[in-house]
Amino acid sequence: MPRLSDTMEEGRIGRWLKREGDSFREGDVIAEIETDKATMEFQAYDDGTVLRIIVDDGETAALGAPIAIVGEAGEEVADAPAEKEPAAAAEPEPATSGSDPNVAAAPPAPAPQGNGKAEVLRVSPIARRMADTAGLDLRSLAGKGSGPDGRIVKADVERALQGATPVPGTDVAPAPEPSPPAVPAPGEGDEVRELSPMLKAVARRMTESKTTVPHFYVSSEIDMTRALQLRKELNEALADSGEKVSVNDLIVRASAQALVQHPQAHRSYVDGTHVYHAHAHVGIAVALDDGLIVPVLRDADTKSLRQIAVEARDLAERARAGKLRQREIEGGTFTVSNMGMLGVSAFAAIINPPESTILAVSATIQRPVVRDGAVAVGDIMSVTLSCDHRACSGADGARLLQTVKRHLEAPTLLLA
Amino acid sequence: MADVTYREALRRALDEELDRDRDVFLMGEEIGKFEGSYKVTAGLWQKYGAERVRETPISEEGFVGAGIGAAMMGLRPVVEIMTINFILVAMDQVVNHAAKIRYMFGGTVGVPLVIRTPGGAGAQLTAQHSQSLEAWFAGCPGLKVVAPSNPADAYGMLKTAIRDDDPVLFCENLVLYNVTGTVPENGDFTVPIGVAAVAKEGDDLTIVAHSYTVQRALRVADRLGQDGISVEVIDLRSLRPLDVDTVVESVRKTNRVLVAEEGWSTFGVGAELAARIQKACFDDLDAPVERVGAAEVPMPYSKPLELAALPLESKIEAAARSLLRECGL
Repeated sequence: MPRLSDTMEEGRIGRWLKREGDSFREGDVIAEIETDKATMEFQAYDDGTVLRIIVDDGETAALGAPIAIVGEAGEEVADAPAEKEPAAAAEPEPATSGSDPNVAAAPPAPAPQGNGKAEVLRVSPIARRMADTAGLDLRSLAGKGSGPDGRIVKADVERALQGATPVPGTDVAPAPEPSPPAVPAPGEGDEVRELSPMLKAVARRMTESKTTVPHFYVSSEIDMTRALQLRKELNEALADSGEKVSVNDLIVRASAQALVQHPQAHRSYVDGTHVYHAHAHVGIAVALDDGLIVPVLRDADTKSLRQIAVEARDLAERARAGKLRQREIEGGTFTVSNMGMLGVSAFAAIINPPESTILAVSATIQRPVVRDGAVAVGDIMSVTLSCDHRACSGADGARLLQTVKRHLEAPTLLLA
Repeated sequence: MADVTYREALRRALDEELDRDRDVFLMGEEIGKFEGSYKVTAGLWQKYGAERVRETPISEEGFVGAGIGAAMMGLRPVVEIMTINFILVAMDQVVNHAAKIRYMFGGTVGVPLVIRTPGGAGAQLTAQHSQSLEAWFAGCPGLKVVAPSNPADAYGMLKTAIRDDDPVLFCENLVLYNVTGTVPENGDFTVPIGVAAVAKEGDDLTIVAHSYTVQRALRVADRLGQDGISVEVIDLRSLRPLDVDTVVESVRKTNRVLVAEEGWSTFGVGAELAARIQKACFDDLDAPVERVGAAEVPMPYSKPLELAALPLESKIEAAARSLLRECGL
C-alpha cells in the first residue's frame, strides 16, 4: 500500500484497473486507492504484469502492506503471504484420552464463532507465557496487539494485567471479566458499518480541532441585494462563454480580499508561533454523498472573480467525482462552508486546522431591512466566522468579517 | 590502577608473560626494532632480544607454521599477524593444522599457540584491509577465539591465552588500540576464556556484542537510557567457547535481544546467537532476535560509503528502537 497522502495510515482499494494477468507500462494507472483525503490514482513504478491481487476492490490495507504481486508475464508466484489461516491450525490438538496418563487433557479451546475466517491470534512467546501464567485469555486482546501485524506483545499483556489481581504461584486464575463496552450495543435492525478512510479522517481531524483549538464565533448579516444584482449582470454578460459566477464565488473573492487586508486574522498558530500567510488559499467545502472534502483554490487574492468562478467549478466537479489530486486538498489558509442552498438560517463551522478561521454561510433570505430610514425588501445572508483564539482576537475576527461584509455590500470592490 | 590504552594493556601482558615463562616468545612482521605496525610490542625486542622477539619475512603461512611446530615441541609462541586480513594466506595452517593436531594425534600433542591479530574498519583501508573475519574461525572446532572489548579484558585474556594449552586466535581491533580503561596492576590478574561479561545491566533490551562493537553498544545504551529505555549490554569476550548461558540469562530477563557485530551478519556471530537464543529462550522472546552487522559488500574506499557500510551506533540504535517499537515500547 503506497503512501499517497502525507497523513494516510491505511488505504482502501477503490478498484483495480488492471486485473490478474493484465500487463502495464510504467506510469499506467493500475488502481484507484482511497486515502484519508481523496481517491488517488496509483501509477505503476515500472513495466510489469499483475500476477496476483492480494487486496481486492473495496478492501483496506495498512501502509506498506502488500496489495498485489507483480512481475513478468507467466511468472510463477509462490502462495501469497498468508493473511488468514484456518482457525484450526492455530488451536492446540485436544489431548486424546489415555494417550499419556501424565498429561491432563485440557478442554479444547472453543472454536471462534462466525464465518470461519477467524483471525490467527499472533502472540509473542513471552506474552503467551505470561498470559498462561496469569490465566489471561489472550482472545480478549485480539485485535489490540501493538506488535507487527497486531502481534500481542509483553507490553499488551502487562497492560491487560494491570488492575487484575496478581496471581501468586502458578495456579491458574479465572480470566478477568471483560470490561463492559463503553457504548450500548447496536439495537435490533441497526447496521454497523466501517468508516471509509475519508470519514475516518474527518472524524479524527474534527475531534482534534474541536477539542484542541479554542473556537470563538463572530456573526453578521450581510445585505446581498447589490451582490446578487452584480452576479446577475455578470452572468448575462458571460452567457455566451458558458461561464457562470455563483454566490459562493462572490464570497470566496470577498474573503480573499479581506484576508490579505487583515494579517492578524490570516495567520496560523503552529507550535507556539504565528505563521502569517502571504496569500489566501481558500478551501471550499464540498458535500459528497457521505462525507465532505475541501478542495483549495490557491492564491484567490490574486485572481479575478471570473478566474475564481472557473476554478471553483472545476474543483467542485472533480471533488464530487473523487478526482482531486493530493496537492489540491492541502495548504488552505481559510475555508468557506456554504449551506445556503440547504436553506439554513444560521450555523457555525469547525475550524480546519492549521487554518485559523472558517466562514459558515447560510441561506440568503428576503427580509425587511431599513435603508435610509425606510423599510425595504433586502436579500439577507447570515454568516458566522469561527476563529482560533490562539491566532486571532475577537476584534481581529470582527474586522475580517466587517471587510467581507463591506465588499459584498459594495460589490464593485469585488471587481477591483 | 591507572588508565592505560588497550595497546599498552596488551604490551604489558606480553612483557609479563615473556618475563614469567622462558618458553614464551613472539614472532611476526616488524615486531622487533620497528615495534610492530601498531606498536603493541614496543620495547620488547630491546628488553628480551631477537631470540625471543623474532622478526619474520612477509610469509604468514611460513611463520604460523613455524609457530605451530614450536608449540608442538613445547614452546608458547605468540604470533602477530599484522591484520586479520592477512591470515587468509595462512588459513591451512590455522584451520587444518593448529586446530586439528590435538585431535589427530590422539590427544598426545597440543598446540599452545596464540595468534594475535587486529580486525576492524573505519580508516578507509578499503575492501581487502577492513574485514572482521573472526566468525569464520569461531565456527572451527579445535580453536579458541577471543575478542576482548576493553583494556582490562585484553590484558587478562591475553595472559590466559598464552597459558592455554590449545591454539587461541586473539582478535584485537584497530579502533580499540587507543581506547583507555583501568587495568589491574596485579600481575596475577587473568580473565577466563569462555565467560561473557554483563557490561551494563538493564531490563528492557539486551544488546550482545564483542570487540569494539561493545563500546558502540554501551553508547547506544546510554542514549536509549536518556529516553527511559533500560538496555543490558553483554560483552561476549569469547566467541569460541561461546558463553550462551550469560546471554540466555539476560534474554530471560529482558525478553528482547539484538546482536551487533562489525563483521557481516550472514553466517555471523548474530546468526549463531539467534539460533542459540531461539532454542534456549523461545518462550521468553517478545520479538524475533534482531541483528546488525556490516553491509554485505566489500568495504568501499569512499568515506561516505564506508560510513554507510559500517554498523555504526546510529544503525544499532535504529535497530534497537525499531525492535522496541515492535514490542509496543
